[in-house]
Amino acid sequence: MANATTDLQQFKAGLFENNPVLVQLLGMCPTLAVSNSIENGLVMGAAVIFVLVMSNLITSLLRNRIQAHVRILIFTLTIATFVTIADMALKAYVFEVSKKLGPFVPLIIVNCIIICRAEVVAIKSSLRRSLADALGCGIGFTMALCILGAIRELLGAGGLTVFKDWGLAWHLDPKTFEPHAWVIMIMPPGAFLTLGIVIGVVNQYRARKAKGGA
Amino acid sequence: MDFTSLIAVFLGVVLVNNFVFAQFLGICPFLGVSKNVSMAFGMGCAVTFVMTISGVVTWVIVHLILTPLGSRFLGNPESLYFLKYVIFIMVIASMVQLVEMYLKKFFPSLYTAFGVFLPLITTNCAILGACLLIDMNEVYQSSLVKSAVFAFGGGVGFAMAITIMAGIREHMRFSDVPKALRGAGITLLTACILALAFQGFAGIGK
Repeated sequence: MANATTDLQQFKAGLFENNPVLVQLLGMCPTLAVSNSIENGLVMGAAVIFVLVMSNLITSLLRNRIQAHVRILIFTLTIATFVTIADMALKAYVFEVSKKLGPFVPLIIVNCIIICRAEVVAIKSSLRRSLADALGCGIGFTMALCILGAIRELLGAGGLTVFKDWGLAWHLDPKTFEPHAWVIMIMPPGAFLTLGIVIGVVNQYRARKAKGGA
Repeated sequence: MDFTSLIAVFLGVVLVNNFVFAQFLGICPFLGVSKNVSMAFGMGCAVTFVMTISGVVTWVIVHLILTPLGSRFLGNPESLYFLKYVIFIMVIASMVQLVEMYLKKFFPSLYTAFGVFLPLITTNCAILGACLLIDMNEVYQSSLVKSAVFAFGGGVGFAMAITIMAGIREHMRFSDVPKALRGAGITLLTACILALAFQGFAGIGK
């Protein structure tokens, strides 16, 4: 793990060299489940960023008061509280997407990224460092979801739809595309396939970079 | 309550809506603990065990405690539902602890067999996922027996998936996998092919 020295480096580490999904392989379940479209990825990412920032904030503020043996319990309860808030907010403002995400919003409670960040960083770092780390990891997670979502949606549905009401949608002509659609990409096997290949590509890139740098 | 509908629930969750291959629950242990068959099977059994118990306990808490309390004191049966997630995760954590203590006292051999897996299960999203799915589905809301069968079936489906995967990975140890795909990459690609096979069950029992 890269040893970050400044808050900015800590932030950047979460985005690229320590990306929670593609490098550390944390939070696989939501990654696979909600990456069937870029829209789901964005909404899920926003929820995770919110919960991650709030849990890191609380943990960091309480870091001198939490006894070591109850820390996991406190992390979990903090996270569960903020997940409840995020779930209610999503149901109120983006109901359609929140219905599609189904149990995966409440499942943020057991998302290993959040507990991992609380345990590795927030419990022993200053408030600024913890927040920088939470934002970095959260945005890194969202980025990974969006990359996977974009690949799967392009190949499986022939276009990208981001919040149709706002006019942010782009689609190939369904008549020309449909005979060539890889429907499997938006179904469960496509998730495993895309993530496997993307992780392979990332590993290859990192191996080459390490060789070049040394 | 007829027996065939229970069998339909069970087969549905084991084969058609398999927790791992169709619903993406419990992927972390599926990738992490699937290196050899006996460990994978132990993990599967421990998950089945805890999943069945927590599925039943959370159902009982939601329908026999939260709902009556809400309607009696606050006038609306759903007014305490915001506590659900916090309660679910606490039930699972304490269930795991309880099961661990019980096994240690009365079945020491089983305890050593489950070993490290029991504490890991608290953060296994398949367990919380089962509780949430039971809570969201109207069929299971109305019937405790069906919920119990669903939770048990979910665990069996998970155990089956992780054991199959471990069997394949044991053989793959001798194959020449491209360097970049070693570990998680090739496991995910294998899971893709398994998921394709499980897609064949889709539509059964409808």
